[in-house]
Amino acid sequence: MPKITVDGKLIDCKERQMVLQACQDAGYKLPSYCYHPGLSIPASCRICLVEVEGIPKLVPSCQTPVRDGMVVHSRSPKAVASQKQVMEYLLINHPLDCPVCDQAGECSLQDYSYEYGRSQSRFEEDKAKKPKKDVGDNIYLYSDRCIMCTRCVRFTREVSGTSELYVDGRGYREEIDIFPGKPCNNKLAGNVVDLCPVGALLDKDFLFKQRVWLLKQTPSISPVDSGGENIFLEYNNGVVYRIKPRYNAEVNGWWISDDTRYSYKIIQNEKRLKSAFKKEHGSLTKTSTREAFDFAVAQLKSLAAQSSGSLYAMLSPMMACEEAFLLGSAIRAIDPEAVLILGPVPSAEEDDIFRHSLTGQQTFVIKAEKVPNAEGIRRVISQLGGPSANYNELISGNNPLLKNLKGGWIVGGYLSNWIKGALPAALATGFRVVQDILPTTLSESADVVLPGAAWAEKDGCWENYAGKIQPFAAAIVPPEGITREGDLYLALLGRTGVYNAQAIRKEMGEPFAAVSLPTEHVQAPAMEFAEL
Amino acid sequence: MKDSDVITLEEPRLSYADTFYLPQVLIGLGTTMRHMFNVVVRGKDRVIQYPEERREDMPVEKGGMLLKTYRGVHRLNKDDEGRVKCVACFMCSTACPANCIHIVAAESPWADREKYPAKFDIDELRCIYCGMCEEACPVDAIELSHVYDIVGLTRQEMIFDKAKLLNIFDETVKKEPM
Ligand code: SF4
Ligand code: SF4
Ligand code: SF4
Ligand code: FES
Repeated sequence: MPKITVDGKLIDCKERQMVLQACQDAGYKLPSYCYHPGLSIPASCRICLVEVEGIPKLVPSCQTPVRDGMVVHSRSPKAVASQKQVMEYLLINHPLDCPVCDQAGECSLQDYSYEYGRSQSRFEEDKAKKPKKDVGDNIYLYSDRCIMCTRCVRFTREVSGTSELYVDGRGYREEIDIFPGKPCNNKLAGNVVDLCPVGALLDKDFLFKQRVWLLKQTPSISPVDSGGENIFLEYNNGVVYRIKPRYNAEVNGWWISDDTRYSYKIIQNEKRLKSAFKKEHGSLTKTSTREAFDFAVAQLKSLAAQSSGSLYAMLSPMMACEEAFLLGSAIRAIDPEAVLILGPVPSAEEDDIFRHSLTGQQTFVIKAEKVPNAEGIRRVISQLGGPSANYNELISGNNPLLKNLKGGWIVGGYLSNWIKGALPAALATGFRVVQDILPTTLSESADVVLPGAAWAEKDGCWENYAGKIQPFAAAIVPPEGITREGDLYLALLGRTGVYNAQAIRKEMGEPFAAVSLPTEHVQAPAMEFAEL
Repeated sequence: MKDSDVITLEEPRLSYADTFYLPQVLIGLGTTMRHMFNVVVRGKDRVIQYPEERREDMPVEKGGMLLKTYRGVHRLNKDDEGRVKCVACFMCSTACPANCIHIVAAESPWADREKYPAKFDIDELRCIYCGMCEEACPVDAIELSHVYDIVGLTRQEMIFDKAKLLNIFDETVKKEPM
């Protein structure tokens, strides 16, 4: 392994690595704009120029491969002078409108201006004024803030493979633009906002909503498909404002799909179920969670007492594995022969595959299976053993186990209405406790309705299509009136205490026991104790 | 916390004279008498006949206040066209140690500006009148005016919204220009 010396520090590198990347891996910071580890290297911004002993001119560290024994200076007078000049050039036409720019607080231009720049401008001419452009359904381009690093252009060519963005003009007239009538609307488009090092590309959805320094981050997982993209939920005062990708080389790399990016809207959906209901005299009436829950438990127990094997629990692939485990165990505690049913697993025709526009190399996949945890629920059901079935068997009724079902606990939690068309006959009869986020025809006809918490409001883990079990943490507390599922299931099991995902995973045994949250950026949400 | 960290305090015992209270009352009356003597006999009148006389109307040498530096209730300044100057940058609410400024930003309806405050609320009861907000503002949109006699019957009334804050600007701008 080659070793290089940067500013007197010895750094271990990988073979053929670039100096900048080696430094970043070792936790030593060199400035960079155009370099992005997920894209090709144009070495165009020149902020990363360093002095290398034995080479007369400054070299771009992002594009200079390491050589054993190389001696690099990033703080030598020559390198510092270059950094100052590059910063001064970049700021010549910059509007300096940080107070109204959404990027302020996470902007490389601000940071480097502070660390490497000179505090004054010597430019006396008029600044070139470039327009604000609408480049996509979710994206604004403020051309005047752009530093022409071309990260966005390279992204649309090399990752999404859609090539919507291009560089128009030369010199100071240079601008990023779209081709007429061809907006940047691909399913990964939101990523260009994340990778723009300045505030040139901004998300319309987040525009002016919050200042970024007010947001807190919690690591989470995408709820939209079985890919299990790693994300950060960014929230303030109990409201999730945006979702940002979290780097994970094995799963999603640096990117997330736009479906994931805007999936937080389910939390603020106006139609959300916010209180419990129970059926009285043939119609659903609003009641407290506790009362509805007690009623449901009493009914289920009396059904189980009449004949065993008459209860079922429908475990939705939107549930966390821990919740499925608790509900499965609880229903079996009431009726040892209860059937565990895997809820519907909606799926698109096929995976969305993105390719590099020139090499055709596969860069990103959006999975066809539109739920995050079908694998995990299958695993929990098989670990719990006993009678089990799946949703299709329940609907078609051709599984002998499902012949004499009299009541069940049905969990939904899907991001959109999951009952398409009329209510299937199998779900229309018997005593039904429905736990869901959005109202459906099922929740309208159920005997007990319990409001569910969205994934951002609880802890748990999901298993993605490839069998990788990934934990997620609660960022916010559920709206008033909603008790987290985990707490309800503990009460159903007759256990006391508050739901703790990590402890439940220990109970579940391998492979769940080994799963734990990444520790960086984890902040405990203000936790209020559950009602039950 | 360890036991050694706990400090137990005894209530001080009153001396025999203190238990009579009368000496303390007389000492207190002494101060009143001294002032009365100063006013009536020596003619040194330090009394302001509030609210007929107000400090903001008096010259500074006579005990009046400096309007420019007094830190009273906030005002939101307007530009030449009468539009709110604030660009909703949140600098003031970030700087505020009492956390009492609540802004909702929106895209501005004017061509020359990106952003403006759709809502701008200051909880005047929570505010400690430190003036950090005015220091932080990049466009001199928020200022502490010289108005100090604000009243309200409810807490809600004391949360000043944008309209109220702009109103204070109109009322004070003559006396205390931007
Ligand atoms: S818009 Fe952003 S990412 Fe694209 S070239 Fe400009 S600065 Fe770079
Ligand atoms: S005066 Fe101080 S406490 Fe009051 S709003 Fe301004 S910054 Fe906050
Ligand atoms: S600092 Fe000034 S411009 Fe910024 S939000 Fe506060 S009042 Fe408005
Ligand atoms: S980061 Fe090296 S030239 Fe831009």
